[in-house]
Amino acid sequence: MSTTLTNIQSRAALPASLIVAATEIGGAILLGAFLLAESTPLVVALLAVMGALFAALQLRPQIEEVIVAAFHDARGLATVLAVAIVLIYPFFLGGNTYALHLLIVSLLYSVLALALNFQLGSANIPNFATGATYGIGAYTSALLAIHFGWTFWATLPAAAIVATVFGFLLGIPSMRTRDSYLALVTIAFGIVIHQMLNNLSWTGGPNGLVGIPAPSLLGHSFMRPIELFGFRLPSQANFYYLSAALLGLAILSAKRLHESRVGLAWNAIRADELAAKCQGINVVWYKILAFGVDAFLAAFAGTIYAFYISYISPDNFTFLVSVTIMTMVIVGGMDNTLGVILGAFLLTMLPEKLRVFSDYRLLFVSVVVILFLILRPKGLFPQRQRHYGGH
Amino acid sequence: MTTPLLKLSGLGIRFGGLVAVDAVDLTVAPSTITCIIGPNGAGKSTLFNLITGIYRPTSGTVALQGDEITGLPAHKIAMRGIARTFQSSRLFEDLSILDNVIIGMHGRTRTGVLTALLRPAKSRRELEACAAEAETILRGISDELFARRYQPAGILPQADRRRLEIARALASHPRLILLDEPSSGMDDRDTAALMADIRRVMADNPGLSFLIIEHDMRLVAELPDNVVVIDYGKKIAEGDFATVRQLPRVQQAYLGQKAVEHA
Amino acid sequence: MESLILQHLLNWLVLGSIYALVALGFSLLFGLLNVIHFSHGDVSMIAPFVALGSLQAVFGITGGSMGILPILTVLAIAILVTGLIGIGADKLVISRFRRSPAMMALVATVALGTVIRELIRGFYPQGSNPKAFPAIAQGFLELGPLRLPAQPVLIVGTTALVVALMYGLMQKTPIGTRIRAVAEDAATARLMGITPSRIFAFTFFLASAAGALGALFFASHAGVVRFDFGVQLGLIGFSAAVIGGLGSMTGAILGALAIAGIESIVQANIADGASYRLVFAFLLVILMLCLRPSGLLGKPVFEKV
Repeated sequence: MSTTLTNIQSRAALPASLIVAATEIGGAILLGAFLLAESTPLVVALLAVMGALFAALQLRPQIEEVIVAAFHDARGLATVLAVAIVLIYPFFLGGNTYALHLLIVSLLYSVLALALNFQLGSANIPNFATGATYGIGAYTSALLAIHFGWTFWATLPAAAIVATVFGFLLGIPSMRTRDSYLALVTIAFGIVIHQMLNNLSWTGGPNGLVGIPAPSLLGHSFMRPIELFGFRLPSQANFYYLSAALLGLAILSAKRLHESRVGLAWNAIRADELAAKCQGINVVWYKILAFGVDAFLAAFAGTIYAFYISYISPDNFTFLVSVTIMTMVIVGGMDNTLGVILGAFLLTMLPEKLRVFSDYRLLFVSVVVILFLILRPKGLFPQRQRHYGGH
Repeated sequence: MTTPLLKLSGLGIRFGGLVAVDAVDLTVAPSTITCIIGPNGAGKSTLFNLITGIYRPTSGTVALQGDEITGLPAHKIAMRGIARTFQSSRLFEDLSILDNVIIGMHGRTRTGVLTALLRPAKSRRELEACAAEAETILRGISDELFARRYQPAGILPQADRRRLEIARALASHPRLILLDEPSSGMDDRDTAALMADIRRVMADNPGLSFLIIEHDMRLVAELPDNVVVIDYGKKIAEGDFATVRQLPRVQQAYLGQKAVEHA
Repeated sequence: MESLILQHLLNWLVLGSIYALVALGFSLLFGLLNVIHFSHGDVSMIAPFVALGSLQAVFGITGGSMGILPILTVLAIAILVTGLIGIGADKLVISRFRRSPAMMALVATVALGTVIRELIRGFYPQGSNPKAFPAIAQGFLELGPLRLPAQPVLIVGTTALVVALMYGLMQKTPIGTRIRAVAEDAATARLMGITPSRIFAFTFFLASAAGALGALFFASHAGVVRFDFGVQLGLIGFSAAVIGGLGSMTGAILGALAIAGIESIVQANIADGASYRLVFAFLLVILMLCLRPSGLLGKPVFEKV
């Protein structure tokens, strides 16, 4: 495979750096156009463009190979350029706060989907409770901030620790249960958490928690707009950068775990649990670990969400939220970081961008999901094989 | 006398009323090959499952180099140095051939979540070293497998699946390898190559022993130092193949009562 | 005091009946196809809407008391239509995942559930509002010294009858034998001249019809129905089937009675219990699965190696 990659590489007329730059900038422009598109025909046209691009990748798999090889060869450039695009992106949205809001929510859902991917994608453990651990993170940080005056930065690790403890607890039944039975344990856990949040008085009951104070960094409150070089970015930009940083952290974690003995062990469990045991893999421990890692990242996303919206209620963290996150992973492509993020962006933005169909958009999205599962069961971008030794 | 590599004493399991393996005693010395033969359904694979911790025995003990390992979970037994293959080969189908072998090294490697996250260079080095060793193992077993090492294991034909399973077993540096019908799905040439592989591996790894469930009588005649016959969960004979095959109760087990009477 | 206990007892049995009717569908389908039909609750919940719609269309009745004939006709229509929709759900969606990993079918049916709910919400007149649902039976029955409300007795009695019929169907009739044969081994059954696709269609009809009856009882017991009631009903029905052991009919019934029992006890004995009944019900689910991973009557799985 590595030799074929280099062959294609040498046959490709374009240098790697150009391919990387074109892919990243092209992707950013497409996303920007989609975010800013107001009229329905434009939204539909952009969706058609994405569909066409995707079809091209389908018909000519070499294109994908060339792009992947280029990103491998020009890793440094790819990272620097991606960071630069993320940094300057808000300046191109022309102060459109709604577009920024959509971006933030998409970024947070990407983190949640990547968190779930450790279980569902890497290890094939059904977990219908990502919404619940997300909620535990959000409530923990909100309560600490409201009642004890903790700052955002202090609640972040605290929420992660509390959620991880819950994650480990949730993982314990996986010692004995599997498949549908384990799926039900996680569903039941999610409902118990949701009902508790709904009924307890100290979580604010169905009304939830209001007045979560905005974070601040080095004296700059996140309520205030960012003013830089004569440019003025709306206050949402603060949370945009925060969420983007979190997604960066999630991507880095996903990559490092995937390319380690841990990721291999999870993949082995996914493929054949019994054979995995016979290779010395402590299946129970690795399953519980996957629950812990999922909860840890989900709690980070929950904390940012709580401080961003400044108001949370149990209905932000229902069973259906968990299912949505699960759908993002499956539609995007199990165990493929790019695919999972793409799935999260698409499924977050699609319903919002289809507002003209107002009442029928959930219907539309669900139908699309079913069609996807039937027509492309491996997701937009299926998992790829690992390669060793830098080609 | 030196400690045997593997010692089973009165090992047995019952599923409900059915006694699948009944009080089996067996000793495997270091650097030897033992073949287990017996009719289908005699309990041979179940015996493997008892040794490797897939099932918990209801009676008897298993000792590896004098340490009792009875009832330990499967992954701990694998870590102690018993590797195995399966009757219907169980590869990690959607992972690359190379990854299949690397996963075999799980018990010998250390990287945990924190190391992977915080010291990626160390984690990467460990895996690269594994990959290099896995390539050596694959090359030793079959050039064909090595050439296809980045392809998913699921596409391999039967004989190559068996070879890959053996490569994966070798990757853990075991002291004992259990092969469950390694020659099934192989033609004569493949089987000859398999025997050569096993001899070569034994020469390369002093002390390593094989315990093999086998139906192919040519292999059973040529390869093992010791043959054990199992029928209805019980050990009914043991010795070298030439002796064992002459025993009436072995012929009876294989050919049935009538055939023996007619003979 | 005595009447209070009686009331709780009846309440338990009514809830248990409703859950059992839904749980039976989960169990039947899992036993046959190894598939978790997560939209089963939503499919079942179509029945009350069909009933309401046909009540207006056929009899022009919008409320108040009514005769026995309209009630029976409307119930029959609702059950029939829902059963057919169940077949449609299989043909359109679920059947496409026969060879896929279980997780795919699970997510697809969750999405199908959303489709069903959204269709009701969007296309039933004022679909997002709760709808009043008439009682199936009113008044009281005098049984010697006992004076029992008619509707709960009717619900429990009908459920017992339906369950008995389903047992009979599965154990004593040719079609039941065929269903069990396909559940055991579809390939061999096909060799014996059984057409699995017909068996699947029949079982989906049966499961959805039973669920429809459960949902109708649920609506008339609660006196109200809303487009999204199917989510909770489905989750509880599924839990009951899993607690009992997926694939076991008796298990599904026991599981339903257990969950209904916990709900009734919590509601009766704990202040503010009504809001915590789901918490306790699902804690029971988690506890049960930790203690008995394959449910009360589920066969423990010995993996073939």
